[in-house]
Amino acid sequence: MINRKMQPPVSAIDRFDYIPTQKLTLTNGLPVYFINAGSQDVVKIDFIFEAGTWQQPANLVATLSNNMLEEGSARFEAAAIAERFDFYGSYIQLSADQNYGVVSIISLNRHLPAILEVTEDLIKNSVFPDHEFGVLVAKNRQRFLIENEKVKTLCQKKFTQALFGMGHPYAIKNTVEDYDRVTKQQVWDFYRRFYHAGNCRLVVAGKVDNEVLTLLEWHFGGTDWAGEPVLQFNYPVVPDPVKYHHVDKPDGMQSAIRVGKHWVHKTHDDYIGLSILTTILGGYFGSRLMANIREDKGYTYGIGAYVLSLKEASYLVISTEVGNEYVEPTLSEIQNELKRLQDEPVSADELETVKNYLFGEFLRDFDGPFALSGSFRAINDFGLDYAFYDRYLETIRNINPVEIQRLGNEYLSGDEWYTVVAGSKS
Amino acid sequence: MIEYEKYRLGNGLVVIAHRDETTPMVCVDVCYNVGARDEDPERTGFAHLFEHLMFGGSKHIPDYDGPLQLAGGDNNAYTTNDLTNYYLTLPKANLETGFWLESDRMLELAFSKKSLDVQRNVVIEEFKQRYLNQPYGDVWPLLREMAYKVHPYRWPTIGREIGHIEKANMQQVKDFFYSHYAPNNAALVVAGNVGPDEVFRLAEKWFGPIPARDVKPRNLPQEPEQTALRELTVERAVPNNAIYMAFHMAGRLQPGYFAADLISDVLSNGNSSRMYQNLVQKQKLFSELDAYISGDFDPGLFVVSGKPSEGVSLEKARAAIQEELDRMAQERVSEYELEKVKNKIEANLVYSEMSYHTKAMNLATDEILQDASLINTQIEQYRAVTVDDLRDEAARIFRGENCSVLNYIAKNS
Repeated sequence: MINRKMQPPVSAIDRFDYIPTQKLTLTNGLPVYFINAGSQDVVKIDFIFEAGTWQQPANLVATLSNNMLEEGSARFEAAAIAERFDFYGSYIQLSADQNYGVVSIISLNRHLPAILEVTEDLIKNSVFPDHEFGVLVAKNRQRFLIENEKVKTLCQKKFTQALFGMGHPYAIKNTVEDYDRVTKQQVWDFYRRFYHAGNCRLVVAGKVDNEVLTLLEWHFGGTDWAGEPVLQFNYPVVPDPVKYHHVDKPDGMQSAIRVGKHWVHKTHDDYIGLSILTTILGGYFGSRLMANIREDKGYTYGIGAYVLSLKEASYLVISTEVGNEYVEPTLSEIQNELKRLQDEPVSADELETVKNYLFGEFLRDFDGPFALSGSFRAINDFGLDYAFYDRYLETIRNINPVEIQRLGNEYLSGDEWYTVVAGSKS
Repeated sequence: MIEYEKYRLGNGLVVIAHRDETTPMVCVDVCYNVGARDEDPERTGFAHLFEHLMFGGSKHIPDYDGPLQLAGGDNNAYTTNDLTNYYLTLPKANLETGFWLESDRMLELAFSKKSLDVQRNVVIEEFKQRYLNQPYGDVWPLLREMAYKVHPYRWPTIGREIGHIEKANMQQVKDFFYSHYAPNNAALVVAGNVGPDEVFRLAEKWFGPIPARDVKPRNLPQEPEQTALRELTVERAVPNNAIYMAFHMAGRLQPGYFAADLISDVLSNGNSSRMYQNLVQKQKLFSELDAYISGDFDPGLFVVSGKPSEGVSLEKARAAIQEELDRMAQERVSEYELEKVKNKIEANLVYSEMSYHTKAMNLATDEILQDASLINTQIEQYRAVTVDDLRDEAARIFRGENCSVLNYIAKNS
């Protein structure tokens, strides 16, 4: 008979080799970071421009500028660009976040020549036609109106506004009027200023052979899209003196909650230890917030704590949606869990579970070309190198309950916390 | 081509092993042949509620997640109208913990009252978070109820109403378990950095002793052919009007399914698709417009959903959609267009093979649908579709009497 009560022996997978990123510089100085990995003949290329909301002169400009790239170029109309990607079963993804505007393409290697031909033109010679611009703005406006009905959206907006102040680019503050105000000229100027080789780097993952690198040099290595790196802007953080906010959303059945504060930057010595602390608090299914507020009380479908690490700032946020009647008890349980991490050392068993879980997550984060590419960006965006991950593993291996409690007392205490609730004021 | 080996245990459990040496991980996927379509119409949402209870401890293991996390594992599960799928990933060295956990909860649940009390509440909050408290969140329930009069696809997996979940009791939970959760009603797939011999050895060890159970053959009422257009108009506090048109189409194993899937791609997969180019870009009639298939095992739905641009009436929007559908039903698409949508299917197949986890899930759901070999043979059925098939299938589907229309009107606040 097998013993079903005993867990089979497990080992902590706390050491392993990962496939390193290599670097190549194209003739024009453009850096290409590449990871040759995976068994399929597939390649993903990210063109990363310093062109996020951090750089934009007015709301919406970074996103619209990025999204307009596929709406027509000197040699290809919008429909022809779409046709090319669709015909070869390839994908183009356009996105802009707080600091970066990104063009990502995914393609089978054998179709890469055809795909890079249009990609080159849409990046270098986009033309931003009026008709397509109008359609895009109208589409995004409608999408905005729908998103703005959601309590989680309203809550996150108010939370970032309170944390950073309305003048800061990390505060999300789009309004519907912005869609009427934004002009094509602003969006075009932004494209001309930020989308060039001097403001770009490439991250390439998958089957990256010489053919891929030769194609990249051919299409992107020239001086025809040169430009000067853009000087860094600075914005002061102006935190709201009011620490509790309620955003009214009448008739909602649930309220969204954000509780959080400014956090240490990714390059800070305590950053890694704190990410272990955050995991204990709310970073995995067995976390304290989940165990208490979902699995014991049933107040919510899910609750989590995570750190949003941005280039210029970071914050910790606890986030959930709960029935209106559970808002008060949820806020009070969140406070209890924050306090418990300061008052009591974590048990050896709980810490071991979190460590092993994080080692497992580490393996997942380095598994396959797309994951490897993401893990590389997670350091490269911050000017860090793989030594960060070596330190990360070493910190997980060595951290103990005393250190966790020290971090709890140093970073979870104090009155710098913001609480935002969005929902019906019942 | 995905290579795998298949083996059936004495108790009826099908075990499938796929080796992928490019990953340091393994995925253990257990797929049960039970979904919302197997529910009592008065107790809808039960299959999904049950999925939550599967994490509330089993006969010998009080806590499911703790030991898995200790082994560096992660897991999740989902319920559809057709099946319930549980999957976990682990570093390969800790594979046996996956077998230990999954076999114990197939053997018997703890049936804890606390877990039932809490998960009822969690599911009710999930109901609100994902459906009731979302703009347009009641579209699918409304469409299903209109399109199906008899078949259990008429309710969504979350359930028809919160009341059904509130009423769930322990006896029903036990009955549900013993009538659907059984080795002879499931497939176990292990994909990742492990060979078939090891998989089959561990399967015999942990799952072999579980007794087969008496699972009644499924006997669902089949939906009679719809004979007249159905239409419903609702008013909701949302920012934009929307229109939904749902047509009955073939089930996954019926002829016509693959053509219907390709029709939806011609109409709306990618920015070069017909509806996007004609109705969103050129005519600016819609801000959003999609055509997609539900992908159900039994005969499912082909859905067109659109949000008209400001100032465009629902009548005009609907007529524009109908025109595109009629064109599909009356004219052949070009060989180029067909080649394009097939290329996309082929490329997506390659992308899906990059992940051991996706491969495990696809093998498991194909095995529950019919046979794991579908993972390699379905592509042939796509390749075989002709431009005539597309036109004929479109003519079969896009008929007024086969359609349910939902007009979703934004209430002026």
